[in-house]
Amino acid sequence: MTEAVVPTLLDKSFGAGTTAADRDEAARRRDEWNAARTSEQPQSFWQATLRRFATNKVGVVAAGIVLLLVLGAIFAPLLTSADPLIGKPLDRLQNVGSPGHLLGTDEQGRDMLARVLYGGRLSLLAGFVPTIGAALIGTAIGVTSGIMRGAVGTVLMRTMDMLYAFPAILLAIAVGASLGPGLTNTIIAVTIVFVPPVARVAESATRRVVVQEFVEAARLSGASTLRVARTQVLPNVLNDVIVYASGLVGVAMIIAASLSFLGLGSAPPAPEWGYMLNSLRGMVSVAPLVAIVPGFFIFLTSVAFNLASDALREAMDSRL
Amino acid sequence: MLRVAVLRISMAVPILFGVSVIVFLLMNVLPGSAEASLVSDDMSAAERQAIRDELGLNDPLPLRYLHWLGDALQGNLGYSAQRRRDVSDLLMQAWGNTAVLALVSAVFGISLGLWLGYVAGTRRGTLIDRLTGVLSLSGLSIPSFFLAIILLAVFAGWLRLLPSGGANLDSGLLMALRSLVLPVLSGSLITMAITARVTRASIVDVAGADFVETLRAKGLSEWEVRRHILRNAISPVLTTSGVQIGALLGGSVLVETIFRWPGMGLLVFTAISARDLLVVQGATLVIAVTFVLLNLVVDLLQAWIDPRVRGAVS
Repeated sequence: MTEAVVPTLLDKSFGAGTTAADRDEAARRRDEWNAARTSEQPQSFWQATLRRFATNKVGVVAAGIVLLLVLGAIFAPLLTSADPLIGKPLDRLQNVGSPGHLLGTDEQGRDMLARVLYGGRLSLLAGFVPTIGAALIGTAIGVTSGIMRGAVGTVLMRTMDMLYAFPAILLAIAVGASLGPGLTNTIIAVTIVFVPPVARVAESATRRVVVQEFVEAARLSGASTLRVARTQVLPNVLNDVIVYASGLVGVAMIIAASLSFLGLGSAPPAPEWGYMLNSLRGMVSVAPLVAIVPGFFIFLTSVAFNLASDALREAMDSRL
Repeated sequence: MLRVAVLRISMAVPILFGVSVIVFLLMNVLPGSAEASLVSDDMSAAERQAIRDELGLNDPLPLRYLHWLGDALQGNLGYSAQRRRDVSDLLMQAWGNTAVLALVSAVFGISLGLWLGYVAGTRRGTLIDRLTGVLSLSGLSIPSFFLAIILLAVFAGWLRLLPSGGANLDSGLLMALRSLVLPVLSGSLITMAITARVTRASIVDVAGADFVETLRAKGLSEWEVRRHILRNAISPVLTTSGVQIGALLGGSVLVETIFRWPGMGLLVFTAISARDLLVVQGATLVIAVTFVLLNLVVDLLQAWIDPRVRGAVS
C-alpha cells in the first residue's frame, strides 16, 4: 500500500464527489462554510458578560434605575426650574404631590424635587468617586503584593490588615473628623476605608492567577514583571475587582450620607441626601412623607446598585 | 489547640500596634490637629508656644507617639478641655452602655439572621426563601439612621408605644429594656441581613456536598443530617459575626446619636461637633481595640469548632 500524501492546503479538486460538477458543488459549500466562520466575530469576555447581563431582568431594571438617577442628577437644571437653595418660607412643608411641588417642599420652603435632583449630584459623586478611587489604588496594591512576594508584599498587606482592624464606618468617621467637614474630605475618607478590602480581593485573585501556566509561559518568553502584570495578571484580576467594587457603590453612598448626617459631609445648605434627611428629621411628625423623601432616594439607589451588582456577579460567573 | 491559640494571640499583637499607630497619625498628622481644640485665636504667639511645649507638640513625631502610647497603656488618654474630664473617665462611663447595645443588637441580629438563612437555605425557592431575599436586600440597602427615623416616627411618635430615647441603663430595667427596642431594631437589621445571606449561601453550598449524600445513605435521620450540615456551614457565619459586631460598635455613632443613648457613639458625635479630637481619638482607639480582640475570640472559637481551621494554622 502506498502512503497517501497529506495535502497541507485543501484545493478545489479535493472533496466529495466523483464528477467535476459534484466536486465544484462541494467546493462552493466549503467556501460558504469558511466565509461564515470568518465573518463570525469571536465573542470577547465583556461581550459575553453583557449578553448574559441583558438576560437578567432584575439586573436590567436595576441598571435602568441607576441610569435614570444619574441622568436626573446631570440634567437637573433641565428637569426643574425651581432653585434647590432658595425657597419661599410661605410654602413651607407642602405635602408630596402638591401643585408645583411634586415631592413637596422642605422646612424652608425649598422645592424637594429640585433638591433631590441637585442633591443626587453630590450623593452619587460620593458613591462613585471613592469606589473608583479605591478600586484603582486597591488593585495596584493587591496586584503588586500578589506578584512580589517577600518583604514588599508582606508590608503592603500587613498595612492593609491594620486598616482592616477598624469597623468601616468608624474609620470613615475618624478620618472625616480629623480632616474636617466637606464633600472632598468625605470622598477621601470613604476611599481610605475601601482600599484595604479591594486590595485583599485583588491580592487573592492575583495569587490564584500567578501560579497558572500561561503566566509561567509569558515569563519564560522573556516578558518583564511589569509586562506580565499588565498583560497577563491584570485582565484576569479585573473582573473580581469589578464585581466587588460594584457592590461598594451603595455602601459608599450610605457611609457618605452617614458622615453628612453627623455634620461631617458637604457644607449646608448644599442638598446632599444625608444632610437633607437630618435637617428634615424634626419634621417627621409634621410632614412624614416629605421627611422620608431623601432617605427613600438613598435606599432606592442603594437597592438598585446592590441588585445590579448581584446580576453582574452572575453574568461574570464570579464566585466572589 | 493551645498552639493555635498562642499563634493567633501573637498575631494580634502587631495588629494592635498598627491600630495605635493609625489612630495616632490620624489625629496628629492630618490638618485638624489636637492642639486646635486647645488654642484659640486671641492667644499670643508665646502662649501658643507654651501650650505646644506643654503638650510636647514640638518633639519629633516618633517620640510623641511613644509618649502617647506609654500614656495610653497606663489608661491616660488625655484631658478633654470641653468636658473638663479625663478622656478615659468619659470613655469608661460610656463603654458599658455601648457594649450592652451592641451585644443585644448582635445577639438579636445574628440569631434571627442565622434562623432565616437556615430556613431559606434548606427550603430553596419557597416563599420564605424569597421573603428572606427581599428582607436581606432591604437590610443591606437601608441606612440605619433612616430606619431609626422611620421607627421613631411610627412607634414613638404615632403609636406612642415606646420611648424615643434619652434613657440609659441606670433608669430602671423595664425602662432600659423599652428604650433598647428601637435602637436594637434599627442597628441590627443590617446584621440580620448579612448573616442571613451568608448562612443561606453556606448552607446551600454544604447541603450539595457529597458527604451529605453519604450521611443519608448511612441511614442518618434528617435531624442528624441537618446537624452535620449546620456544623459544617457555620464557619463563614462566625467569620462575619465578628465583623458584624464591629460594625455595630462603629455604627453606634449614628444609632446612639438619634436615640440619645449615652454610649461611646454619642460621645464621639458630641466631640466631633465640639472639635474635641482627643475624645474622638480615645473612642476610636477603644472601639478598634475591642474589635481586634473580638475577632481574636471569633478566630479561636472557629478553631475550636472546626478542626480544618485548626489544621490550617498549625
